[in-house]
Order: sequence, then structure tokens, then C-alpha cells
Amino acid sequence: MGDSMSQDREVPADGLARLFGAYREACPDPEPGGDFMPQLWQRIEDRRAFSYSLKRLAKGVITAAAAAALAMALFLAPQHRASPSYLELLAAGQSHDNIADTEIVQSSYENPR
Amino acid sequence: MLVEPELITRAREGDDGAFNQVVQAYRKRILGTIARLIGRPEDVEDVGQEVFLRLYYSLDQLRSPEVFEPWLYRLTVNSAYDYLRRHRRRPEARMADLSEQQVIMADAAAGAKLDHEEQRRGRIRDMVGALMSAVSEQDRILLTLKEIEGLSLKELEKVYRVNENALKVRLFRARQRVLKAFEASAGKTAGAGV
Repeated sequence: MGDSMSQDREVPADGLARLFGAYREACPDPEPGGDFMPQLWQRIEDRRAFSYSLKRLAKGVITAAAAAALAMALFLAPQHRASPSYLELLAAGQSHDNIADTEIVQSSYENPR
Repeated sequence: MLVEPELITRAREGDDGAFNQVVQAYRKRILGTIARLIGRPEDVEDVGQEVFLRLYYSLDQLRSPEVFEPWLYRLTVNSAYDYLRRHRRRPEARMADLSEQQVIMADAAAGAKLDHEEQRRGRIRDMVGALMSAVSEQDRILLTLKEIEGLSLKELEKVYRVNENALKVRLFRARQRVLKAFEASAGKTAGAGV
């Protein structure tokens, strides 16, 4: 190795190529362990279970939100009807004014000066 | 290809048995590539499982079985890159960081246990590991695929999805940076020896 290192310093680019070649030989493909496949399938199942529970949670949240929206709509709808609208109030006020006007006119006829 | 295209088609359609066969055919090669990419034998199987996990959940996106291998390499590169980024800040003593005296002592201690050939291999692994840790994760992965795994430019084009000229520029720059680190480490070792 000492010899090869000194050669590497003399011609860095070639030395680097040789070093990479030697590294390829020094690092052969490792044999997978006996529990590689069981662990892989366990991870696949864990991910599947996680995404399934996430989907269920999302569905639950959507259903709850829809139910809450419906309940609020049902609760607010009668209140909305009970309170008169602006136009209804205006119409009611106008009819009251007319009656008052009639009274004034009537009283002026009844008590002429 | 290590497997028949129809096996990949079946795996893509959700056949777990076919997927199992694909993993068994490719796992040794992929584990070897990962070992040389990340340089930490203790984490190789974990990263390898991550690659095949990603494969399982994205196999339906594969356009055709013919592009399976570059695509698997792409998943491997992405997983190795994620691993290297996560472990970037974990300092690790390497041979290049030690003084010559420490290297001699480490060698002497190791020599009692290992034979000469294994010592030589260990030193090569340490040296390349030290060189690769001196450059970015992108340079490390690109150089490993080209110089150590022996992928051609055409294959790298499919893995990286960039054209050949852009790859050549990236490779040239990566080589220059590693050469600089190589010369610096050689100078440092020579300086420490004085």
C-alpha cells in the first residue's frame, strides 16, 4: 500500500483512477442478512397500516366536519326565520306611520277650529 | 436486466410474489452500491430496505419495465443522498484525520487480528472514505456511480435525467474537487511525516 500511495502522489489523476478501482475490489457486494426480507415486508406492512389509519382519520374528520356543518345549519335556520329582515321591518314601520297619519287627519277633522 | 420484464409488470400490478422475486434478484447489487456510496457497513441494510420500500410504493408510476434499472438506481441514489445528508453533521474519525503515529499504532493493533490482504483493503476503504468525505454528497454519489460502479454516461443520463454534456461538466468538476482533496491529503500526510 505504501508503494501504491507514493505512485498515486506522482500521477494524481491516474492514481485516483487506480485507487477507485482498488476500492471497488476492496468493497465486494455484501451478502444480505437472513432477516432482510422479513424486515422489509414488516416495513411495508407498517407503512400500509399507517396510511390506512391516516385515511380513516381523514375520513372521520371529513364526516365530523360535515355533520357539524349540518347541525349548525339546522340550528341557525329557525333563528334566521324568526328574526324579521330589514325589508320586513321597514314595511312594518311604514304601515305604522300611515296609521299614525290617519289618526292625525282624523283628529283634525273631529276638532275643527 | 436481472429479471424478465414481465415479472416487473406483474410486480407493478400488485403481485407481491413477483415483487419478492424482483427484490431477491437485485438486493445484493443494490446493497453493494449502497455500501460503496455511504461507506458505513452497519447502515447498509437499513438504507437498502428504504430503497425497496420506496420501490414498492412507487412501482405503479413506472412507465415501462425497460427503464426499471435506471429507475431503481435513481431510488438508490435518492435514499443514499438522504442518508448522507442526515448523517452529515456526525463527525467520524477517519485515517486521514489521524497523525502518522496514530495510524502506525492502529495498523499494529489491527495487524494482530487481520491478515495482510485485509489490512490493505481496509486502508484503501479508509483512504477513499476520507477523500469522499472531503467533497459534497452530490459529488460523492456521482463519482461513485461513474468511477466505482462503472455506469456509462448513457446510464447516468437516465438516472439523473440530464443530458450528456451537463453530466460531463458535473463529472469534470467533481473529479477536480476530489483531486484537490487527494493532493491536499497527500501533502498533509507528507507534512505530518516531517
